[in-house]
Amino acid sequence: MSVVVRPSGRLSPTGRVMVPALGVLVLLVVVLLAGIGTGIIPAIVIWIGGVLLANIAIVRFVVAATAVLLFTIPTAFVIIFMELKVIAFMNLRIGPNRVGPWGTLASVVHGLKVLSKEDFTPTGADVSVFTLAPVVTFVASVMAFMVLPFGPGLFGADLNVGMLYFFAVGGLGVVGLLMAGWSSFNKYSLLGGLRSAAQMVSYEIPLTLSVVGVIMLAGTMSLNGIVQAQSGSFLDWFVVRQPLAFLVFFIAATAEANRTPFDLTEADSEIVAGFATEYSGMRFGFFFFAEYVNVFLLSGLAVVLFFGGWTAPVPWPWPVHILVAPGELGLGLLAIVILAPLVGSTLLALPLWMLRSSWPFWRAWILGLVLFTLLAIGAIGIYLLINLDALLGIVWFFAKSYVFVFTFVWMRATLPRIRIDQLMGLAWKWLLPASLVNLFLTALAILVVHP
Amino acid sequence: MTTQIPSLDDPRVLVQTPATIYDAIPPYAPRTEREAEFYTLRDGEMLVNMGPQHPSTHGVLRLVLKIEGERVSDLDPVLGYLHRGIEKLGENADYHHAICYTDPLEYISSLFNELAPVMAFEQLLDLRVPRRAEYIRVLSCELLRIASHALFMGWMALDLGGLTPILYGFIERDEIVEMLAALTGQRMLFNYMRIGGVNGDLNHEFLSRLGDWMSRALREIEANTTLLNENEIFVKRTRGLGVIDRRMALGLGLTGPNVRASGIPYDVRRAHPYGVYPELEFDIPTRDEGDSYARYMLRVDEIKQSIRIIDQVLHRMPDGPVMAKVPRRITPRPGRAWAAIESPRGQYGCYAISDGTDQPYRFRIHDPSFVNLQAVVPLMPGNLLADTMAVMASLDPVMGGIDK
Repeated sequence: MSVVVRPSGRLSPTGRVMVPALGVLVLLVVVLLAGIGTGIIPAIVIWIGGVLLANIAIVRFVVAATAVLLFTIPTAFVIIFMELKVIAFMNLRIGPNRVGPWGTLASVVHGLKVLSKEDFTPTGADVSVFTLAPVVTFVASVMAFMVLPFGPGLFGADLNVGMLYFFAVGGLGVVGLLMAGWSSFNKYSLLGGLRSAAQMVSYEIPLTLSVVGVIMLAGTMSLNGIVQAQSGSFLDWFVVRQPLAFLVFFIAATAEANRTPFDLTEADSEIVAGFATEYSGMRFGFFFFAEYVNVFLLSGLAVVLFFGGWTAPVPWPWPVHILVAPGELGLGLLAIVILAPLVGSTLLALPLWMLRSSWPFWRAWILGLVLFTLLAIGAIGIYLLINLDALLGIVWFFAKSYVFVFTFVWMRATLPRIRIDQLMGLAWKWLLPASLVNLFLTALAILVVHP
Repeated sequence: MTTQIPSLDDPRVLVQTPATIYDAIPPYAPRTEREAEFYTLRDGEMLVNMGPQHPSTHGVLRLVLKIEGERVSDLDPVLGYLHRGIEKLGENADYHHAICYTDPLEYISSLFNELAPVMAFEQLLDLRVPRRAEYIRVLSCELLRIASHALFMGWMALDLGGLTPILYGFIERDEIVEMLAALTGQRMLFNYMRIGGVNGDLNHEFLSRLGDWMSRALREIEANTTLLNENEIFVKRTRGLGVIDRRMALGLGLTGPNVRASGIPYDVRRAHPYGVYPELEFDIPTRDEGDSYARYMLRVDEIKQSIRIIDQVLHRMPDGPVMAKVPRRITPRPGRAWAAIESPRGQYGCYAISDGTDQPYRFRIHDPSFVNLQAVVPLMPGNLLADTMAVMASLDPVMGGIDK
């Protein structure tokens, strides 16, 4: 009786993967060398480069779209975590604290959980519409992201009708909710879908009308242009000149994002989960995702329209000139890079060593090195912030946006839900007249001040 | 056009019914004219099952709502999903055992469930309860009344969409339940009342917790209510909603906060005093509006009165035993007894008949939630779907007591 021993049987588990991989690698290198040697690969590279350069606008758009699409994922995770933790603190609870430091990975785990759940379609559902609905909602909110300027020069597309595009695409989200409500074959879903249709359609009007005043002041519908029109100090922000419009906009945006106190479409104490009642797994995940992306989107829009977008509240009063040109130092640069950490760490370590007589010098020196590294990172960060407008713009934009995100979360923790007739009454009896009055006053002011 | 929905008794139903009305099929053929009318749909109406598994129906109540769009035109409450036959169980146990069965009746305030039967059995036995035991009964019951009302305030907010008040309510309830656990050994189903007294004297842990809590109780309750009391949305949603006037309250036989919110100062503690309540000073808060907001605010007032009672009880607590001399095997004289107490939800009564054996011949519980729930039927029609929950919450029914 003989035992057949295959060569791979003697390898370790790692080896079983590595040996074939090495073979493939060798083959690839040979092909690559042959390609370069015969001049085929350089030709292909040059051709592709040429095509890309010829269509630089399209390339830029594709890159930006990918970046925006990828950007939505961490945004949603951060906001979900924020909601979990902030509401927990407001409820005098601890909140998530098991996964990651301070529970920061809780939302990621939520995402994985949603992915691993059964994707269930109820009997009697209109399957194609049911499947498509979450996609429509999600794509609508991601598409609206394209025109949002994150910093100077950082935007998906600078449309000259950016405002219109934003509301048009953002309004598509309600179609997804209505589709979900209708196709789920559930009465709660139907009620939720109808509520969302009524709510969104009503609140689109004051939302759009409240912005018209801003457009008139800025003289452009491009979001980038609106931000540039507010550059200067915080006194130039449109919230100073359009406080009523901002109030209307904020209320309408809350309703538009389906957030408390206007979360009637998924009112859990009334209609279970509204349009999402029958959804499970990643389909529900898409709705969930879209909701939080919408929260950030409308916060960002509020910042762009009324709070100066990426401009700083107070411009830096003293011009800063850093007279360092690293290129001119030559070999000296190398010496500085090597010597600076050594000297800096030693200088920082000396007082520590003197204060703590029980420490050996090397321990103090390691602490000094850590301190020096932190200082160096801080210094480089400040250097970059001063020299790169885009980075500073992003920081300001996100800081301002997250203030609004926090406000949305805060409202969710404190306010009860409004009733559907009160909701409609608020939109048609108060917000619409208020936005019209604001429009009239703005027009009058423009006519008087700049005839 | 009307649609007559057949019942599940009819075998053709499963084959022929259009799926759209499938879940509104009544479980049996209509037995009364009212049922037949209710399950006949006009054009534009649809039936929605709210419960027994729904996020906010206070347990397993099933409300079949007939709605036209968002407006509720009629409703049919269906009970019995939590029926455990507790009264019958009590008739098959001896007197001491029957008391433990009553614990999970109204599980939010279980001490009251024990107190009423205990008092009824004591009447059958002509037993005098030691004064210290009476005071401890009042003390623990009033604590639990606060816990129940604190939870009610949270529930009410939760049914209206507020997330936070329920947790604040639970913080207060948890404090109280923890101190009662120190006293009784249990957090929820205390099993503390005994025929002839209570099970165990006050202990150090209970008193120190109670002292701690009493020093900040009023302040904390008031701080918690600030989130709702003046909240524009809350007030707009509850004021003028589900108004019960005096006639209707009397006609339906409501008791407890629901009737006091309609301006009728009926409280068993005053109307038919029991225990040591005649010796204590407290007000019976009433409100005249009779709407959901009044019912909410009334409970806030009652919490303050309960704190006042606890304060007096602690100052007047006499010394002495906490149990009368009661034999292990009780055989009361044949006869009948009725004892009623004021539970957080109203008049909670127990009716017991003894035939001279060691088991009650009849053991019946009169639960206030059951009576109060009747008000749902006349109050709902004409309201919006969202208001169903607000009215339900303001009546504060607990299904454990309703279904028994």
